[in-house]
Amino acid sequence: MEYRRSDSFWFEHWRLISVMVLVVLIAGFYIYKLFDYQVVEGAKFLEQAEENRTTRISVPTQRGIIYDRNDYVLARNIASYNVVITPAELPGDPSAGGDPRKLNTDLDENVQAVYRRLSALIGVPVSAGEINEETVRLFSPCRTELGIMQIVYIADTNAPYAPMRIKCNIEPELAMKIRARSSELPGVGIEVESVRDYPTGSLTSTIIGFLGPIPAVDEAYYRNKGFVPGRDKVGYAGIEATMQDILGGKNGERLVEVDVSGKELRNLTTPVDPVPGNNIRLTIDTRLQNAAQEALVGEINFWNNWFHETRSSNGVVIAMNPKTGEILALVNYPTYENNRMARFIPGDYYNQLVNDPWKPLFNHAISAEHPPGSVFKMPTAIGALNEGVVTPEQKLNDPGQITVIERNLLNEPVRPFTYVCWKPEGHGEMNWLEGVANSCDVYFYKIGGGYAPDGVSGLGPWRLAEYAMALGYGQRTGIELPGEASGLIPNPDWKRRNLGESWLPGDTYIASMGQGYILATPLQVLVSAAILANDGKYMQPTLIHDILDSEGNVVKPFEPKLKWDITKDPVIKVYDENNLLTGETKTVQPWVVQLAKEGMRLVVTEGTAKKVWENSPVQNSAGKTGTAEYCDNIAREKNLCNRGSWPTHSWYFGYAPYDDPEIAVVAFVYNGGEGASVAAPIVRNVIESYFRLKAFDSGQETGTP
Amino acid sequence: MLRRETWKQFDFLLFGAVIILSIFGVAMIRSAIAGNEVLAELVTRQVIYVFISFGLIIVLSLIDYRYWSSLARLLYGVAIFSLLMIYIFGTALFGSARWLDTGLILIQPSELAKIIMIIVLANFFAQTRERPRNFRWVISSFLLTFGVVLWILLQPNLSTSIVIIVIWLSMLWVSGLPVKYLWILAGVGTVFVILLLALLFSGAKIPFIQPYQLERIATFLFPDPNARHGNTYNVEQALVSIGSGGLFGQGYGNSTQVQLRFLKVRHTDFIFSAMASEFGFVGTVIVILLLVFVILRCFRAAALAADPFGALLAYGFGVLLFFQMAVNIGVNLNVIPVTGLTLPFISYGGSSMVSLAIGIGLVESVILRRKSFE
Repeated sequence: MEYRRSDSFWFEHWRLISVMVLVVLIAGFYIYKLFDYQVVEGAKFLEQAEENRTTRISVPTQRGIIYDRNDYVLARNIASYNVVITPAELPGDPSAGGDPRKLNTDLDENVQAVYRRLSALIGVPVSAGEINEETVRLFSPCRTELGIMQIVYIADTNAPYAPMRIKCNIEPELAMKIRARSSELPGVGIEVESVRDYPTGSLTSTIIGFLGPIPAVDEAYYRNKGFVPGRDKVGYAGIEATMQDILGGKNGERLVEVDVSGKELRNLTTPVDPVPGNNIRLTIDTRLQNAAQEALVGEINFWNNWFHETRSSNGVVIAMNPKTGEILALVNYPTYENNRMARFIPGDYYNQLVNDPWKPLFNHAISAEHPPGSVFKMPTAIGALNEGVVTPEQKLNDPGQITVIERNLLNEPVRPFTYVCWKPEGHGEMNWLEGVANSCDVYFYKIGGGYAPDGVSGLGPWRLAEYAMALGYGQRTGIELPGEASGLIPNPDWKRRNLGESWLPGDTYIASMGQGYILATPLQVLVSAAILANDGKYMQPTLIHDILDSEGNVVKPFEPKLKWDITKDPVIKVYDENNLLTGETKTVQPWVVQLAKEGMRLVVTEGTAKKVWENSPVQNSAGKTGTAEYCDNIAREKNLCNRGSWPTHSWYFGYAPYDDPEIAVVAFVYNGGEGASVAAPIVRNVIESYFRLKAFDSGQETGTP
Repeated sequence: MLRRETWKQFDFLLFGAVIILSIFGVAMIRSAIAGNEVLAELVTRQVIYVFISFGLIIVLSLIDYRYWSSLARLLYGVAIFSLLMIYIFGTALFGSARWLDTGLILIQPSELAKIIMIIVLANFFAQTRERPRNFRWVISSFLLTFGVVLWILLQPNLSTSIVIIVIWLSMLWVSGLPVKYLWILAGVGTVFVILLLALLFSGAKIPFIQPYQLERIATFLFPDPNARHGNTYNVEQALVSIGSGGLFGQGYGNSTQVQLRFLKVRHTDFIFSAMASEFGFVGTVIVILLLVFVILRCFRAAALAADPFGALLAYGFGVLLFFQMAVNIGVNLNVIPVTGLTLPFISYGGSSMVSLAIGIGLVESVILRRKSFE
């Protein structure tokens, strides 16, 4: 060896040692880091690893079915077929190395063949559109212009094991054909989707409503209940909305292990099966609903043709069993077609509905507030009797008009004001029954607002409000439909608070006949009639007959619910002479209710509705007409609001048989004119149909009871 | 041939540690392929490479390492020639041409170049031992190194280039580089890095550096928390894999991160994470300690070597092992940007395994022929 050894090293000792120290330091540092990750923070990372491999899969449940009272299906679920491609199951590599620009040329020939065959069957082009950030962001399956290749590219880059919809809602025959040819179409599948279907469509859409996607604001609420936003739908209107919790059911759940591509490997826990929603049997009789719709639309069209102009474009009919509160028919005109919302809510149709001045999506039967007009004379009439303002026999004179002196403000000069009867020459001397039967306005001015020359003190606004409320006015009925309005029963406090004006005697005059500030929904008008028809018992109006589970067992049977009985429950608050509450309450005396029924019977036999019912096979009905003057923005635009000759809504409520009622019907026609000539025939038609159907159901041929 | 008693000098502990690490590597690769049928044959291949490697270690330890000293010029030529061959017959994989298809197997000449450069540089520094440690000495060793590194850079293969540069630096250091030069080198290096970062943000095209390499640095410095793929995702999943291992690991073949393939490049770059996930802190520390043991055993050979060439050879190889290990584990632990360096003896790779075996063979040859203590 020619080299000279220094020490036992060929290097300077410290230089090698320093490298060794570096090795030990770095190894030590890594062991420290490892300890930190694995032992100190191990649990956190383990949790992340668990999160990676586990996925909760929600198994969709079936929404409950809605029937009418005769088990006729009003809402059901039908199968809809979608063509899907699972990219991972296509032969070869569909993404061609992940370069979208190469899709056309670099694709596997086998995949191309599958695309071509499928394209020939379903008509979606093999390649259309371009893949870029914009199109990928806006991509939405079922509603895309992209070709098969582009859709698969998007699917493949997101979740290659998840089926992607290529075309939605194909014909069942085509679905069968694609299934039969599955050996030629590897990776292509048929997905069966449950879609809501409404066999009766627009006839019952007001009642049934429709479904829509879970709204963003309610996402947390529905997610807690196990719903999947974006997939599951919830009720947006009608029974679908109010009975959401009963119809919705509960989704099943599976906790599965997935690999990085999203492929399911196994269940980690025992799967929870979905619980189907409960079925609902409504109180509606679809046949009567149909008859009511035809009666309403037919009558409106008849008068529009008669006048050669579109007088009226809006009306409501509601039929109910007054003894149980079951709603047998509820018709709005105009309405909408809920089947068009089954798959998704189409923007153009929705906008068309929203922009329609007659608001087809608005539930006029329960949400529209109109002056009720003379149908509101019933609360005035029973109030005046019950409070002893008049006796039934006492006659008051109707000269055609009366003049009272009044002033708006204390420092204003007094002015004479004239109030007219609908019959300009007047009805002459009238007792209570005649006043009701002829709907004599002056009679009601006098008993409502008082008339000193005759020695009548009048019911006054406070007590009138009590009797109106007892008959269901001024509050929601609580029917199972969304958006119910409460109407308006004013009193002097209300006027001072909201309009800043004092209550005038004239206000009481017109309130006594359902005009002025008074507003009511058609359902409230029906309820007020039904309470009287049912001897003072206010039955909760309902659309739900019973609730059944998915196997058809009754879960919640029908029980008529009594809200109150005006002859037994003390619902009338007693005021003293200074219009202050005394704290006492009282009932309506039964003979007053009986007399009210007689009065309504007299309307049909002798009074304002005599002509309508003369030739009807139903000769045992009772009712009340209403011709309500109104001046709203629509009328103002058309310059119809001329003093003394305002346009009028047409009202009528009726029930039959008068002594033992089983059907009560209200009809309302917007700008319909006289109650007796427009609304009354509609009610007659519905009541006749009811008895015809009843006879048919019991096997009789003739419809007259 | 060696005399019988010379085998007593053979470093059985080093050889044993290498055998344990290699076999453990095969087992780990088998777990890491996670049922992927395409990758399944890698296990068989690695087994073959491991056996070839054991053979190579024995054969090379029998050959006197001083023999390679005389072949240094020839080997240098072979390294450059094989690297140049890539440009003519090279096979591109994953974006850069690094492979030479010999018809039988794919060879990665840059892997062999590492070993050849250890021999060449060890030879250079042994021969220039008596020369003054001046600027000329540094530059001439640099030019010698750069003669090979240039072609590797052009492939492009930045990580292997850095490995060779590091070997050169470490040999300069141990051969007595004056400390003031070290400061100059550190200064030059800092300026270089600053320039690189400046260029990185200017977006200009830099020779020898691929866009993906800049991206890696960028994602290391400023990770995108929402990335579902690419380097950020890979590193993130590596950390989750490591952390989920806990103290004793999820068990061989049981790590969900590995078996359900959330962890990417599991059998090469991120095999450390796979191992940490399945064997936990205890198992991983044992492997790190074994690797450190192998490195220190190489340095021991360097200390005991009979001549400077042997000492530099063993030392250089020890540095190579150390640097690869440090970078690979550093990437796995997210302390270094992603590079393509494998974990010695454990990651999958034929050329890498074979060149590591050659290195161990050389170290054993040095230790067999060490100076005897009287």
